Amino acid sequence: MSNVIEQIEQQIAKLSTKAIRKNTGVIRTIADGVAKIEGLSDVMYNEMVSFPGGVIGIALNLEEDEVGCVILGDVSQLKQGDEVSTTGKLLSIPVGKALLGRVVDALGRPVDGKGPIDSKETYPVEKIAPGIIVRKSVSQPLFTGIMAIDSMIPIGRGQRELIIGDRGTGKTTICIDTIINQARINKVGLASGDKNFRPVYSIYVAVGQKQSNIVRTLSALEAADALQYTIIVAAPAADNPANQYLAPFSGAALGEWFMENGMDALIVYDDLSKHAVAYRQISLILKRPSGREAYPGDVFYLHSRLLERAARLDGKGSLTALPVIETQAGDVSAYIPTNVISITDGQIFLETDLFNQGIRPAVSVGLSVSRVGSSAQIKVTKQVGGKLKGELAQFRELAAFAQFGSDLDAKTKATLDRGSRIVELFKQPQLNPIAIEVQASVLYILQKNYFDSIEVKHIVAAANSFKEFLTTRKTDLLTKIRNEAKLTDEIESGLKAAADEWKATFVAK
Amino acid sequence: MAADKSTKLLAKQLFKLSLVNGVVSPEQVTGVLGWIEKHSPRRPVALLKVYHHRIALELAKSRAEVEHAGPVGDATLRQIEAAMSKRYARIITASAKPNPKLLAGLRVRVGSDIYESSVAGQLASLSV
Repeated sequence: MSNVIEQIEQQIAKLSTKAIRKNTGVIRTIADGVAKIEGLSDVMYNEMVSFPGGVIGIALNLEEDEVGCVILGDVSQLKQGDEVSTTGKLLSIPVGKALLGRVVDALGRPVDGKGPIDSKETYPVEKIAPGIIVRKSVSQPLFTGIMAIDSMIPIGRGQRELIIGDRGTGKTTICIDTIINQARINKVGLASGDKNFRPVYSIYVAVGQKQSNIVRTLSALEAADALQYTIIVAAPAADNPANQYLAPFSGAALGEWFMENGMDALIVYDDLSKHAVAYRQISLILKRPSGREAYPGDVFYLHSRLLERAARLDGKGSLTALPVIETQAGDVSAYIPTNVISITDGQIFLETDLFNQGIRPAVSVGLSVSRVGSSAQIKVTKQVGGKLKGELAQFRELAAFAQFGSDLDAKTKATLDRGSRIVELFKQPQLNPIAIEVQASVLYILQKNYFDSIEVKHIVAAANSFKEFLTTRKTDLLTKIRNEAKLTDEIESGLKAAADEWKATFVAK
Repeated sequence: MAADKSTKLLAKQLFKLSLVNGVVSPEQVTGVLGWIEKHSPRRPVALLKVYHHRIALELAKSRAEVEHAGPVGDATLRQIEAAMSKRYARIITASAKPNPKLLAGLRVRVGSDIYESSVAGQLASLSV
């Protein structure tokens, strides 16, 4: 018993008698998740403010006689006259590898029921993007596992590539496929024991989505065994707009930690249209002046400061961003789409028409572009897929004219035949990313006209058959392509021999 | 009735007129009240409420409210006055206010700043 008394006495002795200064204020009004506070004379912009009951808010509007705070928790317990105090800290969230495989909210708190997260470090949610000096140009590839993208619109580590399209065109699917492909590459790379291998950790930020959709994504990642390399930041539609506004920044903080610590990370913002809507809601409640489509004047800065945090740092790691924008009726000239298009280093445009024709992923080759990715593309893909974009563009142009006439010259017919085969070849089921070496092999036999004798309707089956042939019987050749990353004479002869062997056995059904 | 923008603006102007060298002057306040009575501006009650609120906040900045659980002597209050006047670079007067909920120690409030040195405050910080 005396031991217990001693412990308490020691605790009391440790208590400092020094006065602690707190800057306080009083809630004047509270509505729609926003509190107007009087006092808080020392509060900083974006500082965490402590409300009664452990609720946290962020000071967003510093006015002459009051402070506008968005509340990031349960507002039902708060009332007018409650005392609030500053914390002296900018909003920070727990970061680190301990979060991999977990689903967290905008404040980094676990929401997956798997218990607390043992994270030692925290990182500020809002941070100025890395400057010019510390950056390095994009030169390392990030494979999505989607043939149409990796061969024609390649993405590099540290790039910001927008994924834009109407609802239900497969935007999220591309992102999930990319995450699954990173996990697949990580497993192969780590198993190979290559010391220079750099795994890519993924962060999926779900903003304003239905909870059921988030669960579906989670299940897909779990089923593909990709969750162990992924963090999901969930701010569903049921969450308050403040959390939806913060979630992408929290995700960026998680990704930046990997980047600052010499690792590579991929972040998906799904989607920034809903993020802009949440920010508009907050801004309107805070009575900030509204501009076009009632968005506040700083909605461009909102997204530019977020996406500028994606970078490749000299001597450190990289953060690649895949922001998603949902368009209305294919209108890419709306306010938020044009903003984000101008910020990013390219866009992958998904078309509803292509999707409905069964061309999935419904990537519009004409409107999609990657501004920096080509320098990150590996040599073998350049060698086998360099002409694809041009061929496909020619095909689209000619296909439109060919509808009006039946008499076509041989060259036009050849272009159309080639184009329709490329279109078929790029059809890919969802959640089924293809390894870059397999992609290169398939494109190689396309360039060498192995598919020309196969009917267009059998191209998908033929490609699948060839992929299976390679993965089951030519693993050494695939490993060689992966390691060499270029088309050497030896690889080329190997591919030719494999293609001949496959062609001899393939029967179109 | 809530004050509109123009009422708040007028109250702000009147408040500025009530200060002399950054300190609320009783003479100026009397003058302002006289002006309001004479000119009867729009929404006088709302105007007076906003004006009153601003003056109260300003006065609170020059007042140290010392909450205490045990006895506090005049000497302690004078010490607090001196320390706060030095910190805020203005004359601050201290007034004592008993608060048994603090258990022991002091809590000093100057404007929106609170200096917590009470047992209740320490216990609250331990619980966080």
